[in-house]
Amino acid sequence: MIDNTKCECGHQNHEGTVLCESCGKPLHEDEDETKPLEMRYDGVARLSQRKNPSLLNRVWNFFSSVKVAIYLILITLVGAALGTVYPQENMFINIDPSVYYKETYGTLGHIYYLLGLSDTYGSWWFKALLVMIGASLVICSLDRVLPLYRALSKQQIRKHLSFILRQKVAYKGDLAQASASRGSSVDAGQWVEDAAKTLRKKGYRVHTDGTALLAEKNRFSRWGPYINHIGLIIFLLAVLMRGLPGWHMDKYMGFLEGETVKIPDTPYYLKNEQFNVTFYEEDEMTDRFRERGQTVPKRFETKAVLYVCEENCDNPAKEPVLKEVARHNILVNDPLEYKGLLAYQFDFALTPRLVSVSPMLRNKQSGQSYGPFTIKMKNPGVEYEAGPYKLVLKEYFPDFSLDEKGMPITVTNEPNAPAFVFSITGPGLPAEGVPYLYFPREADKAQFRQDEINGAVSQVWDISVNSMEDVEIANYTSYLNIRKDIALPYIWAGAAIFMLGVIIGTYWQHRRIWLRIDNGSELALGAHTNKNWYAMRKDVAWMLSQMGISVDPKQLSDEVKKA
Amino acid sequence: MNLESVSSTALLIAFILYAVSFFLFVIAVTGKKWSSRDPEQHTRKWATLGLFAAIAGLAAQLVFFFTRWYVAGHIPTSNMFEFMTFLAMMIMAAFVVIYLIYRSAVIGMFALPVGVVILAYALVFPPDIQPLIPALQSYWLYIHVTTAALGEAFFAVGFAAGLMYLIRVTDFRNSKRERRSLEFVIYVVLVILAFVIAVYTFKGMNYSASFEQETTRIDQNGQEVTEVGVVDYVLPPLVKPYNSVTVEMKPFLGMTEPLFEAPSWMNGVNAGRKLNTFIWSVIFGAVLYALIRLVLRKPISEAIQPALSGMDAEDLDEISYRAIAIGFPIFSLGALIFAMIWAHEAWGRFWGWDPKEVWALITWLFYAAYLHLRLSRSWHGVRSSWLSVIGFIVVMFTLIGVNLIIAGLHSYAGV
Amino acid sequence: MRRNRKWVQIAILIAILLIGGYTIGSSLFAEESIPREGSEPPAFSLLGLDGKTYSLQDYKGRPVIVNFWGTWCDPCKREMPAIQNQYEKWKDRGLEVLALNLDESRVTVQSFVQQNKLTFPILFDKDLLMRDRYAVRSYPTTFFIDSSGKIAKIAQGEMTESFIEQTVRTILKE
Repeated sequence: MIDNTKCECGHQNHEGTVLCESCGKPLHEDEDETKPLEMRYDGVARLSQRKNPSLLNRVWNFFSSVKVAIYLILITLVGAALGTVYPQENMFINIDPSVYYKETYGTLGHIYYLLGLSDTYGSWWFKALLVMIGASLVICSLDRVLPLYRALSKQQIRKHLSFILRQKVAYKGDLAQASASRGSSVDAGQWVEDAAKTLRKKGYRVHTDGTALLAEKNRFSRWGPYINHIGLIIFLLAVLMRGLPGWHMDKYMGFLEGETVKIPDTPYYLKNEQFNVTFYEEDEMTDRFRERGQTVPKRFETKAVLYVCEENCDNPAKEPVLKEVARHNILVNDPLEYKGLLAYQFDFALTPRLVSVSPMLRNKQSGQSYGPFTIKMKNPGVEYEAGPYKLVLKEYFPDFSLDEKGMPITVTNEPNAPAFVFSITGPGLPAEGVPYLYFPREADKAQFRQDEINGAVSQVWDISVNSMEDVEIANYTSYLNIRKDIALPYIWAGAAIFMLGVIIGTYWQHRRIWLRIDNGSELALGAHTNKNWYAMRKDVAWMLSQMGISVDPKQLSDEVKKA
Repeated sequence: MNLESVSSTALLIAFILYAVSFFLFVIAVTGKKWSSRDPEQHTRKWATLGLFAAIAGLAAQLVFFFTRWYVAGHIPTSNMFEFMTFLAMMIMAAFVVIYLIYRSAVIGMFALPVGVVILAYALVFPPDIQPLIPALQSYWLYIHVTTAALGEAFFAVGFAAGLMYLIRVTDFRNSKRERRSLEFVIYVVLVILAFVIAVYTFKGMNYSASFEQETTRIDQNGQEVTEVGVVDYVLPPLVKPYNSVTVEMKPFLGMTEPLFEAPSWMNGVNAGRKLNTFIWSVIFGAVLYALIRLVLRKPISEAIQPALSGMDAEDLDEISYRAIAIGFPIFSLGALIFAMIWAHEAWGRFWGWDPKEVWALITWLFYAAYLHLRLSRSWHGVRSSWLSVIGFIVVMFTLIGVNLIIAGLHSYAGV
Repeated sequence: MRRNRKWVQIAILIAILLIGGYTIGSSLFAEESIPREGSEPPAFSLLGLDGKTYSLQDYKGRPVIVNFWGTWCDPCKREMPAIQNQYEKWKDRGLEVLALNLDESRVTVQSFVQQNKLTFPILFDKDLLMRDRYAVRSYPTTFFIDSSGKIAKIAQGEMTESFIEQTVRTILKE
């Protein structure tokens, strides 16, 4: 392999090296000699700089390019912005997107849907962008961090003159003049030692070899960008893992007080034992709210119990056997937590509903009462016993009404006006049973004229509750957000590592100063930092002034010299 | 005198002090030509006075902040009014920090108006102290909002320095595109100022109009719910809400009926009013711009340029970059990470692609691109300054535009 | 060292390809959240009124009508006689009808079925899980599934007998 990368100092460099790894001399003489040196990555060869790239290298080079990365960032930016024009599909609980956007926003909306923008963040192209950014993060970093580490860990103290003087901050001067005016001679070695002492006071780590010096500060901040990229990679990977089955769940479910509801796709059941809400008092609110007559909830909680199904879980024919595993008062920012499953309080609604009644069967003539027996409003049982009497439920109308033909029907499946048709058998009653229509609610009983319908039977028999104590009512439906997120700790870890990287990369800067004294008194000084040249110039000017050379920081900057 | 009135008085004092500080810095920079004293001394004296005024204003605003906190029982960063005042305070603080590092009076001339305009904008919104809804009762609220505002404050200073750089280096004679773009940026700033002036003017004239609007929305059960609401206008209605009936409208300049109706696809009950406010701001801004331009008789940025001639362009570029570099980690932490933590606690999901969250991400991506372009692709000077200007416009859109234009979980009160 | 580097590069690119492919693929080929005509109907296994358990996959290879109904839904009730007729007409040709009741109480459903003399299987859609899975928004909704196991037609609203006949003929054709 013939390459012209052997430096005049004798060191053999890799192909693609810009500045000699040993002495820093620029390896390519064909460029403008007055331009400051390209100091990126200390001029070390990077993987992606090789000539004649193979296909593998071409793909690698593509992803390791910062220009490509910036394009990816900008395209993602624009894509994300487009996703905010119209509400996304996941904002709604139950719509048909192929129809909704057309109906609500017209043709523009329909185009939006057709382009896939109605689900921008779940679309394949958006995910592809994130994958490419991930790839870019990995490859960009690997491509640079290894050579940079190599370059920074073995640095030469005495650099080539052209390396030093072509730095962005440079100074050239003759010490003999200054000391002649003082009437003394220059001691190069001593001068370097003194300079080293002043720099050490500023926190630099200084190495000298007689008449040359290398001062370095805050090297660790160079790793900042790579650390923050690692953080981002972990973050993205964790986000990806969430897509794996079982890693993530996000559902909103309503729980009526007293109800036990199965959480879909899990073996868990959650029961809302009780729901409590308190509102802000009149005097706790501002005038504006009072005027509007709005009530603002102050605190609401759900006393929740979590069960796990142990048997008959998938058997539709049998009731599942449940075991209690957790219990918690769920408040707005205080969820129930069990093995990664979280139930958050999201919202609530006032939905008073009859749950069950426990009436007595009364013989009006004898005055005897039998029972009580409990009738559930949801899926009531078929057989009941009240003393020696048996009641068989023949028909049930949760929301009783009469149709045009006067036939009983139910209007909804909610127990808003429940009606039960029993067939009562027992002592003193015919064997085929006596029919009895029972309305638990007094209003319904009056409206539908229960006694009239029951005719002669209602002269003797009566089914009714003794008091409100025998009526079970659920007042509220609590809306909970059921979530699961196994990837979460990794997401936080990625974010924390990102912050660490970005902080050490931004708030500290890597600074280096090289100087050498040739021919006894010719001073050449060069300095480099990865950011904040203002402070670099100040440091160099300060050091020089400590050594008796006063110079304006601005003069040190090569660019200003040219101007 | 109760604490609540102390609080609002303190804010007013702060506002006046900031405005005074701004004028002091203007005198420091422009007055040195006609001062009989040595210009350096002149600048330094007036700039120091300006600094003291700004710090005094900051102190007054801190009084406002803490007294309001005490009265309300929660940190005052929970609605548009409170957040904007806090942001203005952060910008003032960031400015003081940058000034103490670089000691440049011209920065005061630019950074202060940004803070003042934002504070004026904040004052437009209802200042009532409201009880917190349960979703906001978490100390992560404090941490997220304050950190994000601090990060954005540094971006604001970066914007001011970037704008100054552009005005400083643009060759107004020879580059039409640069001149036009700069004038447009100044126009946008004037639109915000015009919005504030318009609202105060019409409120002062006791103007009012209201409309009754019927809206249908889908509630969480997927049912359609029809509501009739009353929409109150502060500015004369050029645009009335979609599908509404005029309840009451004071005539304005002979106009007794709104000129046209908001389109149906505009989201939310207040869409018509917001569109109307936007149109008024744009018109007023144009009028304001035209007036100033008439007085100056040249492009506004060109008129400002001489004031900046003493300032080193490279320093401005450096200040702009440094402010953004300081702000970026703070912004990442506050607007993204703390926001994710709070969202996870309050809503159970750390990220939901809510428009406000998306725009915070967009802002973050933009400044990440800025840093990469500057550090790896050597985008310095003009290109970097334009990016810092555009970046701040993105920040403003995230704060103002998303709330007003796009609906979502994050929306708060509007005008 | 150089050869090692090349393998590392290849390994990383392959990892990216796999992870990326999975991510993008799972988006592209995401299970249709809403069953449409031409897609596969979600599977179910529900308890019937007669106490037996019925699973959709038991009927693979046979045309099936899946009807979502409730006794409080007038159009559902009105179309039941038509469905019953068609069932009797075609059941010997292999047609099956599974009527999923929208989680009403057993008593209510029993009484309705007896009164209307329905002979096809009546299933209980407990907790309305299948209604959600099938994205049913209005009632009645009927899914006609052909013998290849795909949804041939989705009918929303009350069906006339001639409509049912026509559609049954098409799914019976295979």
